[in-house]
Amino acid sequence: MFVEKITVILISGRTSQQGVGLEVGKTSEEYFESVTYIELSTGDAGSLGVGDGDQVKVETAHGSVVVSAKLSDKLEPGTSFFPYGIWANQVFGSETGGTGMPHFKGIEAEISPSSAGVPSLADLVATLKGGS
Amino acid sequence: MAVITDVVCPFCGCLCDDLEITVEGNEIKGAKNACAISRSKFMSHGENRIRTPTVKGKEVSLEKAVEAAAKALASAKRPIVYGLSSTECDAIARCVELAEITGGVVDNTASVCHGPTILALQQVGESKTSLGEVKNRADLVIFWGSNPPAAHIRHFVRYSVTPRGLYVPEGRKGRYVVHVDVRETPTSRVADQFIKVDHGGDFELLLALRAAVRGAKITEDISGVPAEEINALAKRMKEAKMGIVFFGLGLTQSDGRHMNIDVAVGLVAELNHHTKFVLTPMRGHYNVAGANTVTTWQTGYPYAVDFARGYPRYNPGEYTAVDMLAKGEPDAAIIVASDPAATFPANSAKHLARIPTITLDQKVTPTTMLSDVVIPVATAGIEVEGTAYRMDGFSLRLSKVVEPHGGVKSDREVLDMIIERVKALKEDA
Repeated sequence: MFVEKITVILISGRTSQQGVGLEVGKTSEEYFESVTYIELSTGDAGSLGVGDGDQVKVETAHGSVVVSAKLSDKLEPGTSFFPYGIWANQVFGSETGGTGMPHFKGIEAEISPSSAGVPSLADLVATLKGGS
Repeated sequence: MAVITDVVCPFCGCLCDDLEITVEGNEIKGAKNACAISRSKFMSHGENRIRTPTVKGKEVSLEKAVEAAAKALASAKRPIVYGLSSTECDAIARCVELAEITGGVVDNTASVCHGPTILALQQVGESKTSLGEVKNRADLVIFWGSNPPAAHIRHFVRYSVTPRGLYVPEGRKGRYVVHVDVRETPTSRVADQFIKVDHGGDFELLLALRAAVRGAKITEDISGVPAEEINALAKRMKEAKMGIVFFGLGLTQSDGRHMNIDVAVGLVAELNHHTKFVLTPMRGHYNVAGANTVTTWQTGYPYAVDFARGYPRYNPGEYTAVDMLAKGEPDAAIIVASDPAATFPANSAKHLARIPTITLDQKVTPTTMLSDVVIPVATAGIEVEGTAYRMDGFSLRLSKVVEPHGGVKSDREVLDMIIERVKALKEDA
């Protein structure tokens, strides 16, 4: 009865919690909590059978990452919001179209339920170090 | 216990200058008038600090860390200096000097925030004003692709929505507030009118508004916005005593990028045939405007500046950090007051782990975690004085309210040490 995955338009951006968290420190729990989720509309989450706090995989042409789902009744189905941070940057590409600016808002992403676990900051830094 | 008044907040481009910081001994005990993020910055400034300089993870003296940094930079063929926007202007000037003496590139965080805005303003100019004028005169305030409650928390109360101004004595009731965005946010709930635009549809909507202001009657829906709403907004804009568009990264980071700003400037220029209308980018980092200003007065260009030929050249898309790292071009990097390992797409960030990277910062970040050389520095605006530029281009003096944590030096002092050693190494070579 649930679909395996949905396609959304993904936008990234600031939140006040992310600002508060980064000033405590990027290794802090506050920061981790503020940037390791994706906002899904209640309609989209319902199609996937995903509840608030459940883990989802976010995948784009550039990469994928697992984070928590945060349900929003303000978002319209088909749009998702990802707070800025190293987790979000696993799925955005480095192409800038000659402007210097990556496409941080308005790219297609597939969302599916996951149980792979949200990577830690250290995991993602290790990936950057080992990246080819 | 001492209370220091009129402290400027070193977090966002609002540079709120009315903070009252309570200090006991060398500890901050209170931050009156501060927003949630500002309070976190002042009250947590001592937490998670980098304790000591390190080279390849080993604790070393400051002098040894500076020597390692200078050697990496002096021997590099294509070094990049990046960050700059969360420190004070004198340190920014040192970053430019370092790029010049190493024949490298200097870029600042504008390239991933309002760089496209700068590109557009260089093409078509800018109608600008001070935030004080907005407070005193603006009766129509449009937030386009921006969300102050998330990023510029006191903007509404200090400058744009609720304050009583000389010619807007009613305050909030004297202003009509419009929010244009692809999604509903806390800004929509403060606004009198929320206009939801389709993803990637800003350019067309701005163009349609401009046509309507010129007298054309819009007869079809544009970017998901009903024709009558467009015609009505154009009429409201023309009838305002003073209008302003505060635009954010919703315009610079989506389809169209600099062309969105180009057409927004065109709309505002058109409106000035009818009334007073201006636009202001919502600058994020507290001194990103200063990074652009200092880099411009020193090199002629605001960001993405290359000194490889000994004189400055400018080319966003080529000398911007995201592009250079994605191409694997730099063979050394020095990051000042920034965290590109977290803020850049992973495909660009990973190159920092392949090359000698030197980072000056207060706290542990993904960038310090992958850097060869890490040097702890004092926090500008809390532990060091300096100058910063507000989002409207006004410069304000930052305060020092406590002594630097652990006696660390400022960005400026550490950069001076590195510059001196780089010059000596270059002469020896």
